[in-house]
This record gives sequence, C-alpha cells and structure tokens, in this order.
Amino acid sequence: MTLAVRDADALVFAADMYGIPFDQLAVLTGGDRSARAAARRWRDLGYADTARLTEGPAWLWVTRAGLAACGREYQARKPALPQLAHIRAVAATRIALEATGAYRRASAFWRCERRIRARHGRGIRQHLPDGEVHWPDSAPVAWAGECWAIEAEVTPKTVARTTAIMREILTRTGDYGCPAAEAAVPGRPPRHARALYLCSPAALTTVLNARALLGPLAARIEVRDLPPGAQP
Amino acid sequence: MRAVRRERDRYARHPVRHVLARGFWRLLGLAALAAVAAALAPVTLAAAAAAAAGWWRGWPPRRLYAVAAWCLPMTAAWLATVAAWPARVAGSAAAGAPLAGALPAGVGPGPWWLRVAAAPYRAWLASWQLAAHGHLAAAAVAAAPPAVPLGVLAGGLAWQYRLFRMRTGAGGLTPAAPATFDSRLWRRQVRTAKALLAAPGALPLISRNGLVVTGAAIRSVRHRGGPGRAAAIPYPRLRSHQVVIGSTGTGKTTLLLRLWAGFMAAGLRGYAAGGANRPLLVVLDCKGGASSRKVADRTRRVLRDAGARSTAIWPDEASLSLWTLPPGQLVTTLLDLIEHGTGGAAYYTDVMEAIVSLAVGAPCGPPVCSADFLARLDPGWLAASYAASGDGAAVATIRSGKRGFEDVELRFRALWRRLGAGLDGGGSFGDADAWYCVLEGTAEGAVAEAQARALTDLLAHYAVSGQREILLAVDEFSAVSRRLPIWRLYERARALGLAVQVSAQSWEGLADTDDERHRIAATAEGGIWLLRTPRPGPVSELAGTRSYVDTTRRFAGQGAWAGDGMSRTRLVPVLDADIVRQLDVGQAAYVYRGGVTYVQVKRLTGRQAALAPAAGDAPTMPLPAVAVPTQWPPAPPPPPDASEVLDEAFGARRE
Repeated sequence: MTLAVRDADALVFAADMYGIPFDQLAVLTGGDRSARAAARRWRDLGYADTARLTEGPAWLWVTRAGLAACGREYQARKPALPQLAHIRAVAATRIALEATGAYRRASAFWRCERRIRARHGRGIRQHLPDGEVHWPDSAPVAWAGECWAIEAEVTPKTVARTTAIMREILTRTGDYGCPAAEAAVPGRPPRHARALYLCSPAALTTVLNARALLGPLAARIEVRDLPPGAQP
Repeated sequence: MRAVRRERDRYARHPVRHVLARGFWRLLGLAALAAVAAALAPVTLAAAAAAAAGWWRGWPPRRLYAVAAWCLPMTAAWLATVAAWPARVAGSAAAGAPLAGALPAGVGPGPWWLRVAAAPYRAWLASWQLAAHGHLAAAAVAAAPPAVPLGVLAGGLAWQYRLFRMRTGAGGLTPAAPATFDSRLWRRQVRTAKALLAAPGALPLISRNGLVVTGAAIRSVRHRGGPGRAAAIPYPRLRSHQVVIGSTGTGKTTLLLRLWAGFMAAGLRGYAAGGANRPLLVVLDCKGGASSRKVADRTRRVLRDAGARSTAIWPDEASLSLWTLPPGQLVTTLLDLIEHGTGGAAYYTDVMEAIVSLAVGAPCGPPVCSADFLARLDPGWLAASYAASGDGAAVATIRSGKRGFEDVELRFRALWRRLGAGLDGGGSFGDADAWYCVLEGTAEGAVAEAQARALTDLLAHYAVSGQREILLAVDEFSAVSRRLPIWRLYERARALGLAVQVSAQSWEGLADTDDERHRIAATAEGGIWLLRTPRPGPVSELAGTRSYVDTTRRFAGQGAWAGDGMSRTRLVPVLDADIVRQLDVGQAAYVYRGGVTYVQVKRLTGRQAALAPAAGDAPTMPLPAVAVPTQWPPAPPPPPDASEVLDEAFGARRE
C-alpha cells in the first residue's frame, strides 16, 4: 500500500501540528470522503490513530511509525484535551496562509512549534511561538528574506504577559535552542521581522492593548482575526 | 613469713607448645571459616566481588551498603513471588509431579510464611543441585535474590574492617603497611575520580538539585560524599568569601574558571526563577600581560556557555567611569590612588586632601572626567568659582594653599597618564554580566595597586544599589595586597551583597602581615581551596583536628613484629599537609567547617575551543563591545507592507 503525494503531505502536516481534526484534514485532502479514505489507509499502515476526543469531528494523530515514516523525531503522543482548541486554531491559520497565492509563489516554509520545541533544550522555560514562516530571499514579494513569528490567541492572557511575549519575540536575535548568550544580543538584527497575532474575539482586546504598550516595536505586530474553521 | 603469689608464672607454659597450640586453633578457625564460605558459595562470591570492587575503586564502605540496599527490591519481589506462587502447583511439584522442573528456585509447599522463611534455604538447595548438574548460570540465577544483597553487605563489612585495621595501624604485616596501603588507596581513588571526569555527562556544571559541581571527589574527611561521587557545593557558599591558594601550574585557573562559571550559571538560574538578583562577576587579574589576556578570553567563552550575556575585558575593550562615585567617596578614592607619606610628609597629605576636596566639591558640581578634574587644579579658577558662590572660607583656603597646587596637579597628571583611559570612560559595572579586569601587577605594580583600589571602590559603590549579586574575584592578590586592604572590604561586603574570592600562589601572598593573612583566611566562610603549595601548615591549623587511633607494635627482636601492642587516641590535623604537598595538577583540597574534600577538578572548555580556528581568525567570536552603556539599537523602520497575503488569508487588519 502506498500513499498519494497529497496524502503524504497531509500526513506530514498532521505530524507537525500534533494532530488534526477531520474537517481540516478534509480541506487538505480535497473532501470528506478522501479524508476518511486517507485516515483508513494510514491506520492500516500503522501510521496514524483516530478517536473522537471531544465534541465535534474526530481527531487524527500520527503514531511513532508514522513519525518515523515522515522523518520526524518527535515523541509520539495523543493530542492533549486542553490543547485541542489551540491546535485547531494554529492548524487553521497555517491552512489559510498556505492557501494564499503569495505564499505558494514564494515557496515559503512553515516551521511548526513542534519542530522548534524538538530543537529546543528540555527543561528551559521559554516562550515558543506557535510557528514561524520563513520567506526565501529569492521570493517575489516585498518581504522576502523575513522570518515571521505566528501566535494564535484563542483565550486571553493578561496584558502584561502578552506584552512580555511580544517583546521577547521581537527582540530575539538567536534561533530557539541556541546558547543563552546568543538569544538576545544587542546590535544584531532581530530574528523575527514581524509577529502575526491571530486572535479570537475574546483575546482581541488584550492583544491590541498589549501592542499599544510596545511603543515603536508595535509597528512590527500584525493583528488579525482567526480564520474560519479555527474554532469548532 | 613468705608472700604467696596468686597469679600464674609468666613462664609456666612451654613457649613451643604455646605457639603450636595457638597455630592449631588458628588453623582450625580458618578451616571452619573456609567450610562456611564454601557452603555459602554464592554469598561468598558476591562478598568477594563487592570487597574487590570497594578496594579497586577506593569506595567508602557505605557505598557498598547502598548497593546492598538497592538490591533489596529484587529480594522483596522474589519473596513476594514465592509467597504468591499457587499452592497447588507448588504442592504437586513437591510430590514429584512433572511440573517440578518448571518451578522457580525457592518455591515450595507450605503456608505463605513458611515459604518466605524457607525460601533462602530452598534457593540455596536448588542452586547446589543445579550446579551439581553443571548448570552454573542457572545456579547463579537461583541463588542471586538472597545471595547478592547478603554478599554485598558482607563484602562491605569486610572492606570496612580492612579499612579500620589499616586506619588504626593494626593491620598489615609490618608497621609500614598502613602507610603503604593508604598511598595505594589514594592512587586508586584518584583513578576512580579521573574515570568519573572522563565519563561524558557525568559532571554537569550544575547538578539536578542546583549544586555547583566542581569535579569528582577523591577522598573526604568529615564531609559527605567520597570517591566516585561528584564534588559539589551549594551556591550560597560561592556567595560567601572564599580563599584559593595554589602554586603556578597546579590548576588554579581551571578551578577558578569552574567556580566562576558555576556562580554565573547558578546565579542566572536563581534570577530566572525570580528568587535572586542577576549575578555579576568581577575578576581582578593582578598579574597582567599576555597570559592574563588568554585567561580573559577563556573566561569569556566559559561564561558565555554558562549563560552570561556579555563579558567585558577591562581596560582593553571596556572602560569604567571613576567619576560616577559620589563626591565624598571620590575624594577618598582619588587620595588613595596616590601614595602619600606619614610623619613629616603628613603636612603635604593634608594640603593635597584640601585641594582635592575643593576641586571635587566646586560649586559647579563634581568633575566628569580626568581632564575636567585636572583643569580644576588651578587656584585662579577654583578661587573664582567659589567666590562666585560667595564661599569666602574656601577662597581663603585656596589662597593659603596656592603653592601646593602645582605639585598636586603634577602628581595627578602623572597618575592619569599611567592609569590610562580605563577609569575615564562611560561604562558601569551594570553594563555586563561579567567584568574581567587585567591589572599589570607584574610590569607596573604601583599602577596595578592604584587600579585595584579604584575598581574595588567603584564596585563597592555599585554594590550599594543592591541590584546584583556580586562576586569579586581577586587573582594573584599578592601583586596588589600592599595597598588593597581586602579584609576591610570583607567586613562590609556581606551587608553589600558582595562576596570576595581571593586567590594567591602561597599563604604569604594573601597579605603583607600574618595578622591580615589569618584575618582573610579565618573569615572565608565559603571555604578554602588549597592546591599544591609548599606551605599548607597555616591552613591545616585553621582546618582543625580530628581524633585518630595510633597503634604501636612490639618488636620481638627477631623475625616479624609481634601481634601485641598498644593503641591510643590522639588529635591529628583534618587536612593532611603531606597530601596537599603532593597534590597533582588539577587536584585541590576544599576545606570547610572542619572537614576537607580532596577534589579532581573538572576542566571547563569554552564552546569555541572545540573548533579549530582558521588561520588568521580571532580565537573567539568577539562579543559586542560594552565599553559604553549598552542600549538596544534604535527601532528599525517598519517592515514592508504584507497586506497582500495577510488580507487574503485572514481579512482586514485589526487596530
């Protein structure tokens, strides 16, 4: 049994995003029927597992064998219940962004949080973005060469905490997992040219208030609504 | 009247018969012991292996006891299995049923308590039966659950007995045997410590419970831990005064680097947890020259790996401003920078103090740089300045001391020319996580003394703000000890949140007088590190004494020494001065609270040191300069408009 190219991409997507609900899988595979067929094939191969974890559509996540097939060295685990809403929001954000013409023309790259976390040292408490979008230098867009930090805000934090996270993202100079001395070095260009905040209605006010406290750095914060499908 | 003696005559027994009888009973005892050992062969083998491991690694007996304790879960699980084994199966096996061969060793019929009580005996029987049939591996497995913990315990007891006999001088064939045993034990303990150093990841800089690991323990007296264990000290000890003494080439710099990196890493961990202020390390390297620059570079790399954001090298790459001191303190510091006499020369000292006070306290405010200060040493300017503010007394003082201005100006001009620009910049200790200050103590002793004095005054002033947890490390202290009364700083450092670490090549290098040396060493609450040094006596005295059993032996005149003698208890130093004199490179004795731990220090290497630099490259990547107050660069221009993609994906921007 072999995987179609589209199925393989969807499997890697599910592996990178911790898991994926069936309605979003349908968007990736081209429909409900093809999504169910893909899930069935993956289950038969031992690459994925499915279950109805909460109200709404069932969820699919990639097993250890599937992660090995995808070439990912993550620890295989079922998506945790408290994180389902956030995982769905981030996945919807990625699907919406990857569907744009500019993203495809530029061959941009989404570096997911799971990948960042895998490189990041264990036991170090540090905020990690929900994803990074790398725009190649040769991309035919004005922001070619930039790295964006993506944050999906489903539930509101405090304004102070959100401001601190924004400041940390915008002043960071080193990659995640780099030596502590390189994380924020004055004089070096920042790692993230901008931070993109996708907010639920509940979190929008907090994020806007936090951005207002940033001063000149606020120009590098983009605030938008979460795309359709981000919330069940 | 004849006196009657009740005790037996000393020579009533025949000496030959006495020796023969004694030999016979000893042989009988040995034979009995050998019989028991053979009968309990599994236990004997485990005991022999444990004692041999203790001897080979130089472990303390308690480590073998710990191993025996860790084996107990295995025994408990085995006993539980024996007790819970189905009675029907066990009973049928005992009756000769075909299942007998499938039963595990130790299982047999009877109520559960009888099974548990009889399990060791049954396992012992089973192991002998298996061994008799040639199944040696199966016999070992059958006997292991009860035999291994018992054997390890017996091995520990035997090893402890051996150590006790040797420590008290009662063991060995000759009186020299205990000393030979101890020197060989030391070599094996060193080998064990070096093996631990070589094991990858065995000695992290910070242990899981937050202790600063300095290396592997070789031996400890009155301290916890021992051979084969990490030698670690809690962070608060690095926040107390410490003394490091060691000759050149004994690994002092390696030890200091480890302590500094540990201070930085543990301090940053506490700071990240919100429990402490950010750490600040200030090193005064009073030797100077190219070697100090190399150490500075190595320090920077090591501290960088420990998490330090930036390390400033003073005065090569960064400078400080003496003029940030408050006016009163500035006057004192400026006067201390210049050597002045006593007795008849005290008059000139008073004149200088008056002139400097007037220059610093001028109505226009204190000077902001050396040029400003030198410009004020002009009686005309000073008089005009004070006259404008209506201070007639000051004007009168200036006029009366007019003749002294030229001399004072000349001396300060020469001083600033020799000091250079290191104290005339705009930096502050708060600009970096670590400052490595290179003082040219070897080439220009007087200049180094003045610099050390100015830097400690600046640091003491900065410490008053209470923003940082500071460790001041003074390396090669003897070069500046004449004019840097560090013990004065000791006394007020605790209140300032400032810890002082003094290192010298010898006891004499700690201070000029013996009183000051003792004062420095006695107040080292964080402990004293002693590397190889020819005169460890004073530190040995400070470390205190312990009781020691000393045994003498009677020499019969021919052949071997007799088995009888006398033991007595006497006090000996906790710190063995002979061991200190013979320490190898990288070995240190850590003296703390009446105990001592001998440590094989783990060397730290900076991350870049692992990479071979290309020809012409700098040995390390330079960090951003911190000579001027560090500021973030101005905000970059807004990024280009990406509405094209964002609007398409997420709709309009939210403001």
